[in-house]
Amino acid sequence: MKQGSKIQDPGSGRSAAPAARRNGGTMKRVLKALRPYRWLILLSILFSAATVALTLYIPVLVGRAIDHILGPRQVDFDAVWKLLLTIALFAVLTALVQWLVSVINNRVTYDVVRDVRNRAFRHLQRLPLSYLDKQSVGSIVSQIITDVDQFADGLLLGFTQLFTGIVTILGTLGFMLSIKPLIALIVIVLTPLSFVVAKFIASHTHSYFLEQSKTRAEQTAFVDELLGSQKVVKAFGREGRSVADFDAINGRLEKTSLKAIFFSSLTNPCTRFVNSVVYAAVVLTGALLCVSTAGTTAAFTVGSLSALLAYANQYTKPFNEISGVVTEFQNALACAGRIFALMDEPAETPDHCHSDRSEESAARACDTTAGGRQAAAGDGGADSSTPLRAAQNDSTGSSSIRGEVSLDDVSFSYDKSKSLIEKLSITAQPGQRIAIVGPTGCGKTTLINLLMRFYDVDGGAIRVDGTDIRDMTRAALRSGYGMVLQDTWLRSGTIRENLTLGKPDATDAEVEAACRAAHAHSFIRLLPQGYDTYISEDGGMLSQGQKQLLCIARIMLCLPPMLILDEATSSIDTRTEIKIQKAFANMMQGRTSFIVAHRLSTIREADVILVMKDGRVIEVGNHDSLLAAGGFYANLYNSQFSN
Amino acid sequence: MRKLFSYLKPYRKECVLGPLLKLAEATLELFVPLIVAAVIDRGIGGSDNGYIMRMSLLLAGLGLLGLVFSVTAQYFSARAAVGFVTRLRHALYAQVQRFPYATLDRIGIPTLITRMSSDMNQVQTGLNLTLRLLLRSPFVVFGAMVMAFTIDTTAALWFVAAIPVLALVVFGVMLLTMPMYKRVQERLDKVLAITRENLNGVRVLRAFRKEEAECRSFETQNEVLTAAQQRVGRVSSLMNPLTYIIVNLAVILLIRTGAIRVNAGILTQGAVVALYNYMSQILVELIKLANLIINITKSLACGKRIQNILDISDEERVHAELPGGDPALRVEFDHAALRYQGAAGEALEQVTLRVRPGQVIGVIGGTGSGKSSFVNLIPRFYEATSGRVLVDGIDVRAMEPAALRQKIGVVPQKAVLFKGTIRENLLWGAPGRDGALPSALPVSDEALMEAVRAAQALEVVAAKGGLDGEIEQFGRNLSGGQRQRLTIARALVRKPEILILDDSSSALDFATDAALRKALRALDYSPTIFFVAQRTSAVRHADQIVVLDEGKLVGLGTHEQLLETCPVYREIHESQFRKEAAV
Repeated sequence: MKQGSKIQDPGSGRSAAPAARRNGGTMKRVLKALRPYRWLILLSILFSAATVALTLYIPVLVGRAIDHILGPRQVDFDAVWKLLLTIALFAVLTALVQWLVSVINNRVTYDVVRDVRNRAFRHLQRLPLSYLDKQSVGSIVSQIITDVDQFADGLLLGFTQLFTGIVTILGTLGFMLSIKPLIALIVIVLTPLSFVVAKFIASHTHSYFLEQSKTRAEQTAFVDELLGSQKVVKAFGREGRSVADFDAINGRLEKTSLKAIFFSSLTNPCTRFVNSVVYAAVVLTGALLCVSTAGTTAAFTVGSLSALLAYANQYTKPFNEISGVVTEFQNALACAGRIFALMDEPAETPDHCHSDRSEESAARACDTTAGGRQAAAGDGGADSSTPLRAAQNDSTGSSSIRGEVSLDDVSFSYDKSKSLIEKLSITAQPGQRIAIVGPTGCGKTTLINLLMRFYDVDGGAIRVDGTDIRDMTRAALRSGYGMVLQDTWLRSGTIRENLTLGKPDATDAEVEAACRAAHAHSFIRLLPQGYDTYISEDGGMLSQGQKQLLCIARIMLCLPPMLILDEATSSIDTRTEIKIQKAFANMMQGRTSFIVAHRLSTIREADVILVMKDGRVIEVGNHDSLLAAGGFYANLYNSQFSN
Repeated sequence: MRKLFSYLKPYRKECVLGPLLKLAEATLELFVPLIVAAVIDRGIGGSDNGYIMRMSLLLAGLGLLGLVFSVTAQYFSARAAVGFVTRLRHALYAQVQRFPYATLDRIGIPTLITRMSSDMNQVQTGLNLTLRLLLRSPFVVFGAMVMAFTIDTTAALWFVAAIPVLALVVFGVMLLTMPMYKRVQERLDKVLAITRENLNGVRVLRAFRKEEAECRSFETQNEVLTAAQQRVGRVSSLMNPLTYIIVNLAVILLIRTGAIRVNAGILTQGAVVALYNYMSQILVELIKLANLIINITKSLACGKRIQNILDISDEERVHAELPGGDPALRVEFDHAALRYQGAAGEALEQVTLRVRPGQVIGVIGGTGSGKSSFVNLIPRFYEATSGRVLVDGIDVRAMEPAALRQKIGVVPQKAVLFKGTIRENLLWGAPGRDGALPSALPVSDEALMEAVRAAQALEVVAAKGGLDGEIEQFGRNLSGGQRQRLTIARALVRKPEILILDDSSSALDFATDAALRKALRALDYSPTIFFVAQRTSAVRHADQIVVLDEGKLVGLGTHEQLLETCPVYREIHESQFRKEAAV
């Protein structure tokens, strides 16, 4: 372990080239993650060395004791007793140190894993949605859970086996050399054979393993998709076909698994065979030496032979393990690489970065340095433990927002080669109700992404009360909005926990009042445990409409100055919807709202209706003026009644 | 676990031969100390170089024989483990296909997926290791003891004394850690759940500025997990040091006894070395056993989780003896009621309705009024908890579920498509009995396009480049409205007698929705249509409209009749047409 330089080195992260960091750097970053534990690791190394030395010394003592037991009336009892007592002492000492080593290794491994996971999760909170939207949830979860776990396994194994293995090899080598250099030489020359054998097998089974994991992934994806929609499978009577498709993959998996498992399991018997050859060679040369040197002053004793045999066994064992450990460790490093790659993803532009923004290019520059800085923080670790945006739960700032929202020549697209929204300008006065209608794919949902600053605009600016939203903290901006999306999301927890998501300190009376206004109280009351009923993430037995009512109640509890409703009432019947809108109208007096809907009853009473098509606003007006104009909106509207 | 092991039956031969060959290999290893003792006593003692060479060759020969035994054993155990799990996976998958909706609701799909994947893998690893190693370690331990007896009975008594103490330590640690490992697994599940939820709800969580709170709750759960891991680590790392002390203590006593008996001329020096070697072998085996036991403990837990699903006997049984009804009616609800498992009240109360072939039935009502529950009774997705539902005069429970569903085209509320081409997705709806591979009756592209046209999905198909256009998993590359139209087309492909649309045009704009309704009514095979809708405009031309309110049937009739007689319907209607009424 190198030491001396401080944990926080602001220069190193920024200057390091990303490519270098990805390849050779993983090991370096693993070491960096281990740095807070360097004293414990040093202790572990010292103790392991002590354990190995002690474990190796005991056979020497036993050998010496046996040398004092030559034959009838040729036993030196005093010497034997003394040696046995020493063995007992050493055995207890070894066991104690052994235990300490495992405790330390456990502690370091699991603490490092905890640190890495915490840091990765924290980084996740800062990753922009433009990144998260492109990843599948499953792959990120597997990075944070499975990869970190594999990394832990490899690390622990590396600690416990790789290190002690190497020390054991070196130690036994030393002892063997001290007993009989000739035999030691035989062992040294022959044992690496097991490495060669292991390597040969590993390189030939690698392709089987790849195929196995590919087929396994294919099966998991199939099961995920088909079992995930089992109700549809049943509805179409596809059970038999589904099983047949499953069996086809299952059969292929059986074949590749058998190959992969069988061929990889050859390593152990083969290396063991090499070991028995080594053992036989030691017996042969050792015994012959005993015979030839018998009676001379440099006699090779039976005790020494038994010690050498024990060493030969102990010397070859780590070779078997190390060949396994090395693959495991490589796998662990690969997993660590994936986690670090996640942590290297540039984070969102920090808040207030744009305060001195004079031109567009400044924004770009700011963005890249921020990415570099985040990566550096991810490296060093200490920085990321400081709370994220200390003010983010502080909603006091929102009360000052009046709710004037203007979009000024806004351009944006997800795929920079295809334009989506271009030069869009909209102004919403405080308290206005803005409805956005238009055909699928016209950019309605994208507009919400921009208003909430889930994505930053490519050109132009969005202003709230005249301030560019990039000059506000995201927390301050978002605290001004209440958002209900078409894809209702409820978390696993009680109904009450879900309702108070935006206002954890709400009283029971406030919660109930919000639910009454959202017309959710009557059905919540009928649930098995009322407000304390536990629901799973997908909402369990609640209907789609009931889930939407809960999401609306969740917003009504917070009373933000601005509202975004994206098809928020699409599964709620119109009768309830109108009652909810009345409640909204009362509670939202003077609050600006953006409503995306295609149901006319939802948008009819909006102050301004924006008709969007292909990322542009093609018509603006209210219901009556747009009908009178006889354009796109009028067509849409009339189609509802033409039968 | 008996049911689980029944899938091992075809591999009986492998399960016996594998461990047996492993034991043979272990037996060979037990001869090694004996040979070494002979080398010391006869070879070195008698200065017989020829003997030493022969014995060394024998050692290498034993190694070769051991290699052959163990490779064969590996093959048998790999075959048994892989084959067993393949069968088990099939059994579990087929079992899930039999479950009714209610059972799927109760168990939950995500856990079925984990059991299908990671639990299965753990069982495979566990079985493979068990077949290879489990018998070996105790065999070597007891074998070493038996061999010790052949050398010297008195000295061997130390083996007899040491083994129970060692067993006590091994099983003690195992019993202590088993529940601890389970707890670690549960806590890991929690950390996983938080991460998943955080990603799924990222927009809502960020809108509520929950990032810091999420980090804190993640860190709390993570800390709990770490603590559990360290606790189990501390206990399980006791095993090796304790066994080390015990074995060395036994070695000391062994040498002490050996010294006395060699002095008395009862034992030779070589015999003492052999006894010592046997004791060392026990130590090596115990270290291997410790790792194996952790693995087996985990596998047993996973096996139990799979067994639990296999034990569920719920399936859609056919009760052919149930009485029929009027065969002239396409669908009949006879005092049908539904209460979901664990629910506080009935989702649907005593509904009676008679539907003739070709009729269009509108189903309307408030949020949570039981509309979906109502239509779900027709294809027997759920069974009426009282009363009955009949199709073509036969109780749905008296029909083969596949035959029943063959008559019905369903468009579920949640529009789900599958990875594959548009054609493959549409062919899901092709006629043909369950299990027919592939769809028994070929469906021409014209027939598919006909369904696509009626479902107003022509532009969707065109946008994806025709019927061969690729659809991603879950239909991710389509918008909500596009998905809905394709699911409608899918249901039309079989030209069903009964078509059920469960609020399946919610993502369509009015123009498309209206055109869809018109096209469906114009279908030449005039199916009986059940329209679940939010808007009265969607149902006003229906032959009968079912009005539901909190699970009760509160109105039944035509649009005009209901406007007169049903206050709930009138209210719904007025909520949508207020302004026009005033004009």
